Amino acid sequence: MKKTIPLLIVIVGGLIWVAWAFSPHHALQDVYYNQFYLPWAYASAPFGMLLGVLSLSLMHTNKIKTKAPKWQYSYFFFGSFIITCLAGFIGGIQKGGLFMWIFENVQMPMSATMFSLLAFYMASAAYKAFRARSPEATVLLAAAIVVMLAQVPLGVKISKHLPTISQWILDVPNLASKRGILLGVGLGSVATSLKILLGIERSYLGGSD
Amino acid sequence: MNIFERMQKLDPRWIYVVVALAIIIPLMIPYDSDNVTTPPTENLYQMIDSFAGREDRAILLSFYHDAATMPELFPMEVAILRHCFERNVKVFMLTWYPAGAPIIDYAINTVKEEYPDIQSGTDYCNFGYKPQAFAMVLGMGDNIANTMNTDAEGRKLENLPIMRGINNYSEMNLVIEFSGSSAGGTWIVYARPKFGLNVAVGVTAVMAADEYPYLQSGQLIGMLAGLKGAAEYEKLVDIFAAYRDPKIDYSKTTNENGDKILPGRPFGREILEDESSKKLSLITTQTHAKFTASEYKAFSAKYPDQQNILNGLIKTEKDMIEIDITDITPELRTEMGEKLYREIDRHTHNTLYKFKVARIGMNAQSVAHIMIIVFIILGNIGYFIQKARVAKK
Repeated sequence: MKKTIPLLIVIVGGLIWVAWAFSPHHALQDVYYNQFYLPWAYASAPFGMLLGVLSLSLMHTNKIKTKAPKWQYSYFFFGSFIITCLAGFIGGIQKGGLFMWIFENVQMPMSATMFSLLAFYMASAAYKAFRARSPEATVLLAAAIVVMLAQVPLGVKISKHLPTISQWILDVPNLASKRGILLGVGLGSVATSLKILLGIERSYLGGSD
Repeated sequence: MNIFERMQKLDPRWIYVVVALAIIIPLMIPYDSDNVTTPPTENLYQMIDSFAGREDRAILLSFYHDAATMPELFPMEVAILRHCFERNVKVFMLTWYPAGAPIIDYAINTVKEEYPDIQSGTDYCNFGYKPQAFAMVLGMGDNIANTMNTDAEGRKLENLPIMRGINNYSEMNLVIEFSGSSAGGTWIVYARPKFGLNVAVGVTAVMAADEYPYLQSGQLIGMLAGLKGAAEYEKLVDIFAAYRDPKIDYSKTTNENGDKILPGRPFGREILEDESSKKLSLITTQTHAKFTASEYKAFSAKYPDQQNILNGLIKTEKDMIEIDITDITPELRTEMGEKLYREIDRHTHNTLYKFKVARIGMNAQSVAHIMIIVFIILGNIGYFIQKARVAKK
């Protein structure tokens, strides 16, 4: 019973969505989707957000309680969370308010700084690890150099043919490999979905069967 | 330890210092460089431009990212908004991320400062953060006002002037999703096949390769790839959308033949490839408005009351009539009026910093790419020489 009911919910729910995707019938497109699913979807979204906030708060509370490694930083979470919420709820989120100031002067530069670190690691990795150890690695290295050069104005000054060669690399070998991966992922998703719908795949229920 | 062994064991901090300098110096000293436009960018530009001045067409911008990817994606968003505001294209905005909502406001505020006539609810509409992307994407295919209900300011959509003539994807016929990860997925899978919606994406450079299968199959009509895509778009906006013919009076809505006067000009390959167009998209400071004799005659005829002021400002250089905007004192500016001052300023083709951020960034990226290539080559030289020595021993 403990496993049959969840299994039935998944199978029936999944079959309804399959029917919705392939049938234009009024009962599915309007009654089920517009009148039932949409209002429930809107109503459930805030609860999802609440769950996220609760989960994060509990995790940081536990960290502080148990004095887990770097527990002091959890105070920063609570501090920033409370200040940002108050700024948004009381002062509004329009330009000139505290919330927008925090976004422009704290969150934006901090997030961008984290992302920009990538450039430094890439440069270091390129120097330390990008070696022409095999013919395949040599092809990869040559392709990388051509595409990198063609991306920037300086590269076009070196040779006007570079953008054409780079575009060919992106349009042909890159595209072929990407399409192969996408086809594999697509077929795999269809197979897994069918296995779930037919009750063959049950690992999401937990346990061994 | 010989030099090659040292090269192999170079402290990464030296690499970090070189990369930092390679990025910071070009950012501090901008120079003009040409960003060759690519077909995915041109296609997107032309698609948006085809909606110019049309009451029954609009585009939707989906800000599907947070602040971390802003350095690459924000210049794209600003450039597209500028294009829309210049060419009277109705634009809607939304985000599926709560963290994306302030980015929409920030983008609107950044561009709107230069367009005082642009009104929220009339020329653009911000839906704000919307949860349940799947439901929204499908719902808008039937009816936008019923699905979105209100805008970010809480106003009923059906009461807003921008909704005149806009019902669903038949009118809001293009969506551009900006993302640092899986851009356009929901739109391509659900809205494109079911409603025929045109989809385009703006992605970070590292994600661009993933989008090529969709571009080739036509599921994506265009793509802005990383900072380069943004720089290309900025250039197109400068050359076409922000262009003003000195002979045309844009304060009038129709010409003598009754045709609608639309600011800017349509995309044209011959204009793009013309050498003189490069002067319209320079990133260094421009202070001289230049006219041919006939252009100046038509330009000054639009301001009969300010003829004396204009004649006092002009200088003739190599058959061109020039006005140096730095010669205009604050008193003179007040005397000539803000409209004339702004028009002279526009004819200098000087671009504000916020509208050339991507092109300045591309200069830094040029140097950074060259540096990384040099690092790769040096690393490989050291590796092979060391390997040869070991083999010899």
